[in-house]
Amino acid sequence: MRLAIPHQQRMPLAIAALGFLFLGLFLLYPLFNVFSASVLDADGEKFTLANYFKVLGRPFYRAAVTNTLAIGVTATLTTMLISVPFAFALARLPVPGKAAILALAAMPLVLPSFVSAYAIVLLLGRAGIVTQWLNAWGIGFGSIYGAGGIVLVYTLTLYPYVLLPTMAGFKAVDVSVEEAAQSLGSSPRRTLWTVTLPIVIPSILAGGLLVFIETLENFGVPFVLAEDMPIFAVEAFKLFIGETAPNPSSAGVLGVLLILTTAAVLLIQRRYLSARRFATGARAAPPILRVGTGLRIAAAVYCWTVVLLALVPFFAIVVLSFMEFRGPVLHPNFSLDNFRILFDRSTRPLLNTLLFATMAAIAVTLVGVPIAYVVTRVRSTLATVLDVIATLPFAIAGTVLAIGFVVSFNSGWLILTGGPLIMVLAYTVRKVPFAVRSSSAILHQIDPSLEEASISLGRSPLQTFGRILVPLMLGGILSGFVLTWVTVASELSATVVLYSGSWRTLTVVMFQALESGGGGVATAAASTLIVVTLLPIALLYRLVRRYELS
Amino acid sequence: MTGIVIEGVERSFGSVRAVDGVNLTVGDGEFFTLLGPSGCGKTTLLRMIAGFCELDGGEIRFGAKRIDRLPAHTRDIGMVFQNYAVFPNLTVAGNVAYGLKARRVAGTELARRVDEALALVQLAGYGERWPHQLSGGQLQRVAIARALVIRPQVLLFDEPLSNLDARLRVSMRAEIRELQKSLGITAIYVTHDQEEAMSVSDRIALMQSGKLEQVGAPAEIYRNPTSRFAAEFMGTTNLIEARTLGRDGAGMVSLRPEALRLDSEAPAGWPRVGGVIAHVEILGPITRLDVRLADGSLLKVAALDEPHRTLAPGAAVMLAYDPARVTVLT
Ligand SMILES: Nc1ncnc2c1ncn2[C@@H]1O[C@H](COP(=O)(O)OP(=O)(O)O)[C@@H](O)[C@H]1O
Ligand SMILES: [Mg+2]
Repeated sequence: MRLAIPHQQRMPLAIAALGFLFLGLFLLYPLFNVFSASVLDADGEKFTLANYFKVLGRPFYRAAVTNTLAIGVTATLTTMLISVPFAFALARLPVPGKAAILALAAMPLVLPSFVSAYAIVLLLGRAGIVTQWLNAWGIGFGSIYGAGGIVLVYTLTLYPYVLLPTMAGFKAVDVSVEEAAQSLGSSPRRTLWTVTLPIVIPSILAGGLLVFIETLENFGVPFVLAEDMPIFAVEAFKLFIGETAPNPSSAGVLGVLLILTTAAVLLIQRRYLSARRFATGARAAPPILRVGTGLRIAAAVYCWTVVLLALVPFFAIVVLSFMEFRGPVLHPNFSLDNFRILFDRSTRPLLNTLLFATMAAIAVTLVGVPIAYVVTRVRSTLATVLDVIATLPFAIAGTVLAIGFVVSFNSGWLILTGGPLIMVLAYTVRKVPFAVRSSSAILHQIDPSLEEASISLGRSPLQTFGRILVPLMLGGILSGFVLTWVTVASELSATVVLYSGSWRTLTVVMFQALESGGGGVATAAASTLIVVTLLPIALLYRLVRRYELS
Repeated sequence: MTGIVIEGVERSFGSVRAVDGVNLTVGDGEFFTLLGPSGCGKTTLLRMIAGFCELDGGEIRFGAKRIDRLPAHTRDIGMVFQNYAVFPNLTVAGNVAYGLKARRVAGTELARRVDEALALVQLAGYGERWPHQLSGGQLQRVAIARALVIRPQVLLFDEPLSNLDARLRVSMRAEIRELQKSLGITAIYVTHDQEEAMSVSDRIALMQSGKLEQVGAPAEIYRNPTSRFAAEFMGTTNLIEARTLGRDGAGMVSLRPEALRLDSEAPAGWPRVGGVIAHVEILGPITRLDVRLADGSLLKVAALDEPHRTLAPGAAVMLAYDPARVTVLT
């Protein structure tokens, strides 16, 4: 008797098998190697917990843990503090130019945060333009390096993570709930505090969680701004680069600790959010409130200020990249030298960036969309496990995954280090959760009976996938593709661990220029990166508009 | 064109036995309906025939050919879904052509058959429209044309009319029946609506909790229900102890309201039973009465409207019933 797999399950099972194979090899296996590196001795032979005692025994690394957590918590609080009133204003107050505000507010999510950090240094750092200008007036301010500057940059670049869900939350509050409170004698102000805000809290927290995890994993911002302050992701990187023993045990320890922290945060959130979910099932969106002129002006000024402030660093970088640098010192003369130097040296970094982003975006789509299909269409433990594993990279810092890649694929039967493929694979794994999330969101809206209709008309499940599902998902797949492309183009944390020889990207050029004090090249690379990021987004936006109009 | 044989088919979801040992034979060209309350397993059985649901046991054959292990797309079935399932990314003509293209029909043959099918469902000239421009009734016609055009061996309908408004339901069901009869394709039709089932079917299988309760022609099940469930599901009835009517035997009997008449309007040979009027409703052509008998049980009566009688609650009344229409339930 042959092994009988019912025909209904053949395609999902085949996809799941390929998904497990891919994620097993390029996610679980590297992570396992990071873990085993942390519990083996320096030669990688005997089991030991000594590495943990060694690393955590040193105040420097304990400080890395506490600093990272403290900065993360502070930045999460400041983003919430800024975003909640912002979200309320956008959802419920008459603010001019809401569409423009929303489009601009989403931009920090795709622009590279370490570019913002670098701009802050150029503006407010020791030799910064604004600093010198203020000094000339006899005004001084505290140092931008260290925790303060990092929190500032996180706040400016990560606030949309809280703003967008919170705004959606405020809009989803059913008016009748508010009206009920007011008919019971609650003043509008009290209603806001006692009824509306509590309903929105889960959205605020969900956004805050994203911010917190992003701060834990971020490498570029602390790399630019931390100076002597030890930060998790940066120290893991430095330890890994510095470790000469065959087994990177200390970097492994930091990596494992970083993963455990993120996992703990996610678990706490899951507990909390599943316990309180306020579904109000809004039928009527709440109306725009009528408020006095004073409040109206204040709201408009506030929203526009936040949105523009967050973009000032990026704008400044573009402007500064057209100025003359002598070493790291800036001179206010117009010049194209920075770009000349950048591209005269080689156009390879730009081409590599474009190539890797394209390959990774294709790979992410090819891996993510089918996995999303299984996760949404199949109800079984297998599908749930696949879902969990495909979401896992979200909780893994790029640095840690990259260390796992190096440990896993620099010897043995599959050698990838030293080539471009290892970078593309790392990017792919990192972005898979986003592709799975966005694709399953669309798939949930496509009635499964459409597929059954196609199959009953004589198309195989595979043909049905190509002829019915893919066309219906196309808009979503395309935006997912562009978002992946854009975020991969500015990926830094895994890139700095994995790049080699001629396979440098724009972010690596910037990273190296920063290390060696080449301010001009760094700004030129940064503004090229900004253009590379914004161009596809603009194209996508136009495409979507045209599609919607037709 | 084929008969369908279903033998010992079963399927469980966890502890729910959705289909529990069903045996059925559907004749060639027959319009066969699966009828039953929501959750009784109709859809599951239909999806097993279509190939979207695995069998835990048993087998299904089209004619002599066993099909329950075949992939769904090779079964040659036309299926019409409750929510239309019209492809939104294709025009009306594109939807109808979809199955033909899968069968490598092309060129003028393709165009001719698409036009023919659209004309059949009264959508001639609608080929270039997009699904979002059509009403619910038109969408369901597209879905029917799409299923018919491939000339399948078997047509399956899963509550195809339940998303339409009442008036349209009545006219569409007649159309579906006519189309099926003119093309002679064996059809299995799923519904929870007893009246709809009676109006379209050659035969009905009444289902409950995954099992077949009774199989037969509509009138036969209505007039001779074999169980209490069948009697109640197939329309209003009086379920009473045989003794209450003064009959022998201990069991329950079913007596349809229209088998009861007022004493003065009934043939002399019918047995009588006396009671007190509890409630009167004049619904137009029909007058409904609730009559309380001496032992406290309530009888529902449906009588044709009659202008010359006065019926008031509280009045004593003598009823007569047709002894041939008393069904003894087992
Ligand atoms: N995919 C499924 N998973 C779990 N239970 C199911 C599934 N499909 C149907 N059932 C259960 O099987 C029973 C029969 O369902 P169904 O065939 O849809 O009934 P009907 O179409 O007669 O309303 C119901 O109790 C339903 O909950
Ligand atoms: Mg059903």
